[in-house]
Amino acid sequence: MLNFLDINERALNGPIMSEKEFDMKVFVPRLKSVTDDYGIRYDKDNPVPSDDKAADNLFEAAVDFMSQVGVFCKDTNRIIQFKRDEILQVLKEAPGRCLAGEGKEAGIFGMRRPDEQKHPWFHVGSGIVASSEEMATNLIEGYASIAESNSISISALDSIRGILVMAGSPAEFYAAIRGIKIGLEAIKRAGRPGLPIMNLISTSASALTAIAASAPQFGLRPTDGWLCGTIAEMKIDFGVMTKVAYLLSSGANVGVETAPILGGYCGGPAGTAVISTAYILMGLLAYNGNYQLHFPVHFRNGCSTGRDVLWAVSASCQAASRNIPMPVIWLGYLASGPNTKMYFYEAAAHILSAVTSGAPSIQTPHPARAVKKDGITPMEAKFGVEMGKAACRLNRQKANELVLQLLEKYESQIMTAPTGSRYQECYDVTTGKPKESYVRLYNEVKEELAGMEIPFERY
Amino acid sequence: MEKKEILEKLTTAVIEGDKNLARESAQNALTIEIDPLEAIDQGLSKGMEAVGRQFESGESYLPELIMAADSFNAAMEILKPAIEANKQQVHKEGIVLIATVKGDLHEIGKNIVATVMEINGFEVVDIGIDQHSLDIIEAAEKNKADIIALSSLMTTTMPYQKEVIEVLDDMKLRDKYIVLVGGGPVSQKWADEINANGYGETAIDAVALAKNLLNNRKQTVAMD
Repeated sequence: MLNFLDINERALNGPIMSEKEFDMKVFVPRLKSVTDDYGIRYDKDNPVPSDDKAADNLFEAAVDFMSQVGVFCKDTNRIIQFKRDEILQVLKEAPGRCLAGEGKEAGIFGMRRPDEQKHPWFHVGSGIVASSEEMATNLIEGYASIAESNSISISALDSIRGILVMAGSPAEFYAAIRGIKIGLEAIKRAGRPGLPIMNLISTSASALTAIAASAPQFGLRPTDGWLCGTIAEMKIDFGVMTKVAYLLSSGANVGVETAPILGGYCGGPAGTAVISTAYILMGLLAYNGNYQLHFPVHFRNGCSTGRDVLWAVSASCQAASRNIPMPVIWLGYLASGPNTKMYFYEAAAHILSAVTSGAPSIQTPHPARAVKKDGITPMEAKFGVEMGKAACRLNRQKANELVLQLLEKYESQIMTAPTGSRYQECYDVTTGKPKESYVRLYNEVKEELAGMEIPFERY
Repeated sequence: MEKKEILEKLTTAVIEGDKNLARESAQNALTIEIDPLEAIDQGLSKGMEAVGRQFESGESYLPELIMAADSFNAAMEILKPAIEANKQQVHKEGIVLIATVKGDLHEIGKNIVATVMEINGFEVVDIGIDQHSLDIIEAAEKNKADIIALSSLMTTTMPYQKEVIEVLDDMKLRDKYIVLVGGGPVSQKWADEINANGYGETAIDAVALAKNLLNNRKQTVAMD
């Protein structure tokens, strides 16, 4: 792996140019030429392709792209460049696994391959904002109570004692440590104190508060996981780099958070698949990351379940799982919200695409584009696990047939999707149990999906 | 070269994002004394409309939009002196000051909105990301903006959209500007809560909303 001080040095001395020049004179034209040269083509009739050669070709395209383009540092306006042989060397050295959790909950989060029947690492929950501390506690305890969950994402807080959390303010720090305390308490209540929290620190937008709240006296452990963002597309800044330096020095798990945008500088699905794969290389090269949270989305509808994004997800997941030793959590942003049938159709489509394509891990697909406060429940987390286990029994070909059937059910409604219910509307906030009506809906839609030959476990 | 051919080349230059062709065709237009406003209307703008349609239908994306806008602007650099010499004015839908609010580094959505607005006839002043509320207002004043468009991609930066509106109120400038808000976590509910004039879920929505609100404002002023 490259020494992180070396990355710092490249950020100070690489070729200098304006950000617009990087976007329009380097990124866009090189992406176009790599996509054309390697013949990367979107196939709208096969959102889950079954072509190992194509997957390996996409990987080669991404390596070529990365060696030509690099990563742009916004603070220095310079490009952090990587030579092709360096990239290949890093791929040889990368461990392809990460140790997370403590005691009984300690586990190795490692790789999978396409069509593999091994279960993915189940990362449950979301950093979607909770309206109150009580709601956050309920949610997190609910996630942690899912027996098969391997790691957890905890809710963000958008206010503390009635004071709005504004990015970079002291309130952000207070809310961050409060959120951590709630998360640790909630997993204890679920009887799983060692469960790793891997979306740290969801309440902190700024590197400063993230580092401050990571001090050991606030309870976090090196076997938890911190997310370090990227800036679309293929950009980094000193804030994130300083956070990475801190985490590497403290021996913590460094998670790289990446979200290529179909329709932005990535262009269409083919370009997005190249960038989606290249981002996983970036996670290893520029961050020394040992896991990644990855969620390609569409610029117009903000979600991951249109057929074009599903194709980019599947294609790049296959390219990465076959060739890049980086444990990636594949996350879908859904158009519809909790307590709607459409949510489960979309979630099933995304999970089928990712799991059969070799996703090392999946996270609870985020309802209503993750923008609705309290807009997630443990029911979605439970479904994610059950659907993930079912998907492991299928191959890409079968997944493709099923995804096409699921698309018929929801594709035309993506722009007008129902945002669904908040936690307190479909769960009893006192007992933390789902209301009867939601249980009924859940069972109905599962029966419907089972009727499509999705092989859920029967108890 | 004939007028029709030159106008077609101006259109093509925008559609293909060819700045050299745009400059060359603009110069040719002036050489054979095509009215510069006609060169814009029947040449450049037709190209922008075509690119706009391609974008809406999903055939083209942000890079094509930017290249089209850059080509349009390259041609305008040639045509502008002639327009000024003729004491003519290019029709503008309005002036939009766009920014991502303080603490927020996201910009692709903002860039898409800015470019789509430009394609639809607005003059857009984009002051970038992580902008303090006072700097946003100062830029709006300096550029005589009609609309302030605020982008926020994080729940912890959304409050700065509210802050801009509050500061406009304090400075007794609120009625001077139409304020539109947008971005991932932003919703109509939030826009109503902070007394924004509107919320654009997509770039196309933002354009329609901006045109509608501006027309309403002009009618209200005319009635007064």
